[in-house]
Amino acid sequence: MSPDILDEASEIWFGPQHVSAHGWATKLTLVGDYIVECDPNAGYFHRSAEKCLEFRNFRQGSMILERICMMEAFLAEYPYIAAVEKIVDLEVPERAKIMRTIMLEFNRIHSLQFWWGQFAGELGLFAMLLWPWVDREYTLDAFETLTGSRHTISYETPGGVKYDFTPTFLSKMEIALSRVKERMPVFEDMLAGSPTFRLRTEGVGHYTLKQALKWGLSGPNVKACGLPMDLRKDDPDPNLAYDMIDWEVPTIHNENHPGECDAFDRLLQRFKEIETSLDIIDKLLPLLPEGPIVDPKARAKANRLPEGEGYGRVEGTRGVTTVWLKTMEKAQTPWRAKIRGPCFASYYSLKHIVPGARFADFPAIFGSLDPYPGWWDR
Amino acid sequence: MGFVGNLGDIFKILKHVFRQVFRRPFTYFYPFEDRPYPERTRGRHIHVRENCTACGQCVRACPVAAIRIDKEDKKFEKDAALYFDYTRCIFCGDCVSSCRFDALYHTPIVDISEGDRDDLVYGPDKIETLDRDPLEWRGRRFR
Amino acid sequence: MVGSLGGYEMQFDFFTWFGGLWDWIWGILLWFWGIIKWLVIWILDIINGIWALAAVPENFMFLFRAVVMPGLIFLLLALIFTVWFTRKIWARVQDRRGPTHLGKYGGYQLFADAVKLMAKETIIPDKAKRWMYRILPSLLLIIVLIPFAFIPWDPYWNIMGPPGQAFGDLSVSLVLIFALLTAVPVFSLLIGWVTGSKYSLIGGFRSANNQFASEIPMVISSVGPAMLAGSLSMYSIVAAQTSIWYIVLLPINFATFLVASIASVGTFPFDAPVADSEIIFGWRTELSGIYFTVVYFAEFAEQMLYSAIMVALFFGGFNGLPFLPGIVNFLIKWLVVYFIFTVVTSSFYRLRQDQIVHLCWKYLLPLSILNVVLVMFAIVYIPGLLPLVIGG
Repeated sequence: MSPDILDEASEIWFGPQHVSAHGWATKLTLVGDYIVECDPNAGYFHRSAEKCLEFRNFRQGSMILERICMMEAFLAEYPYIAAVEKIVDLEVPERAKIMRTIMLEFNRIHSLQFWWGQFAGELGLFAMLLWPWVDREYTLDAFETLTGSRHTISYETPGGVKYDFTPTFLSKMEIALSRVKERMPVFEDMLAGSPTFRLRTEGVGHYTLKQALKWGLSGPNVKACGLPMDLRKDDPDPNLAYDMIDWEVPTIHNENHPGECDAFDRLLQRFKEIETSLDIIDKLLPLLPEGPIVDPKARAKANRLPEGEGYGRVEGTRGVTTVWLKTMEKAQTPWRAKIRGPCFASYYSLKHIVPGARFADFPAIFGSLDPYPGWWDR
Repeated sequence: MGFVGNLGDIFKILKHVFRQVFRRPFTYFYPFEDRPYPERTRGRHIHVRENCTACGQCVRACPVAAIRIDKEDKKFEKDAALYFDYTRCIFCGDCVSSCRFDALYHTPIVDISEGDRDDLVYGPDKIETLDRDPLEWRGRRFR
Repeated sequence: MVGSLGGYEMQFDFFTWFGGLWDWIWGILLWFWGIIKWLVIWILDIINGIWALAAVPENFMFLFRAVVMPGLIFLLLALIFTVWFTRKIWARVQDRRGPTHLGKYGGYQLFADAVKLMAKETIIPDKAKRWMYRILPSLLLIIVLIPFAFIPWDPYWNIMGPPGQAFGDLSVSLVLIFALLTAVPVFSLLIGWVTGSKYSLIGGFRSANNQFASEIPMVISSVGPAMLAGSLSMYSIVAAQTSIWYIVLLPINFATFLVASIASVGTFPFDAPVADSEIIFGWRTELSGIYFTVVYFAEFAEQMLYSAIMVALFFGGFNGLPFLPGIVNFLIKWLVVYFIFTVVTSSFYRLRQDQIVHLCWKYLLPLSILNVVLVMFAIVYIPGLLPLVIGG
């Protein structure tokens, strides 16, 4: 495109008050129907979570973390707990490790169910907005039976977990997971098998693997390009149970364009992620031993922490989520906490992905990268 | 993506949607029906004053300072009055898990909406009992 | 008479003149009174004439049919019912109930919504052209409601009777309906333009693009039944379906007409002009209060109209069970067709604007032309077809 064409460009603010802009703003430069430039503008959702963490002790801090992203509350709490456990030497019982891993995977399924509904709703099918969310109700029922709250669960604590599995919870979890399994064919028909959906998402928002790694994307956004880069396999956390079983990293290999992925591939990738999570839960449930669920000395040790730094990481639904904590000697609250959200990288990578697409593709691209404003604005 | 393949997909989608229209909807007809709440549901608290020892651990554990304690107000020998501010409470459960004397519990009552903001600060008279005024709506009584 | 006063000759007798002054004034007043009387008598004559005209039974029944049943009042009540029905169906597709609290099964919800919307403040954007902004939405509703006059609800109790009678159907009423419906996207474009906001402008352009894509296959698809019936008048097409409904003979034609009419209305799979997640609400973004109510009802009125046209063209109109009055047949069929219309629209994702144009021009248009060619050959070469389809 020649530079003169920018003379007839018009700027439009895809601003914070917009149905599918979940709390962010972009200045788009349009020429006709095509987007020429995209200038993302974050900050409308900032709630100073990192500063709030500096005033709360190490049991209360996970409340803040789980409210940054409520859809993956377990996955959001865990890096904070892992960071605390790196500063202080706590022994997590085996039962707690397996329970944590099961709940992390269960939460991943829940977060992906939410994403299905949101993505399909943005593309215009209001039926598919609510059908996955009906299945989410069963999942949230299971969460409530275990912890007492549907979204803000406050389940993990330094040294273990707070609530034990009960038979009611196990039966409710089985109902929720079997419902996910039985609705998968329906959703495959309605999403991947729908000709209109394929029209909207194929060839849209594509990038190569090298570009993805350069922009700092992680999680399903990179795995859809064919690289099995997964933190659960590459750097398994000793306080979780991923190395106790045999499982495969879900990746999509597309023959049409190897090394690249578009929005449709990312959808297929997330289908595979759900299948992998179901598989992990199935393999872990029989391995659950009896025993305590929390280190008995945890309350004493996690009250005042020695000086040190801790860096906790987890593979969240959208990518690698990390929390870095620094404590001073005998501190009850952290000196500094830094949270890294995966959506920050995917949001700013829009600046490079979007130009060249049509205006109507914008919600499709943005939705397929699984945005959540809590992670980029914290 | 042949034409006939597309047509087959379209009919499959139409079949799913048609079947869905004739099924019973999933939603509950609130407020006449409500879903069953599990027993661990973290709703409003109840303070059992007989067991309270005025240790104040619940006040220390709360992340948002929603509990206020009045140690002068005694009904039995060693207890205290608690004021719960439900405009600040985040229902995290830390206060309940920090009470060693079985004096504080969560109840599964979650519909605590009020007309006035000041009614949401539960003083000792409200926090120790589960009775409350019924709500009149369209000639029927709820709660 | 010229008097003489002391020898001087007076040419003008003041006293006579003064005596006649009053007569002159009285004459002028009588002249004014005459004009007023003439005016009043003229107006009374006109009213009398209209009254006499309306009292003639034929004319009176026409007025009654046009205003009450199945005219304006019936249409407005049917419109309110339609919106309620649509909301209930959308809700059932989404696994929830629709409006339930107001009235039994939520029947009064629409009245409450209409009252609420009309009571809201109408905000006119700063950059909008004010008088156009005020007039255009109401014009849109009027243009969508006018074609209802040509739909043959019943053999006797409809607005335009059989052709040839006093208030007979025009011999080209099908063409007139499409001519009126073609004006609707023009109004969408105009509303999007006079609003003065970029999102509305994009919506308006997309709406004009929609018209360009979808109206042509729709009009060509409607030629099939017209050829089989041998006339372009809606009443004749319906009256010709006494022995067999045209959908049995022309199923693919029905499918293309359905898809083209969904595209022409601008509802779900083809609602790029009012895409919820891209351009907030397209050309309807800035409308508020009474203007929004009118435009909202106009969209549902258009959907009703297309369902009614489909019933008339393909499903036999008022022909059906012989013991029921024609209009009841029509309404039952119309409810079923509207149900199918709504469920089909809630099943597909929103297409991009250029994909809509591709779909209509590359798939719908050749299919509809193929349909017309097939019907032409069938009429000429299949013996016995013609007496079957031109009914009594």
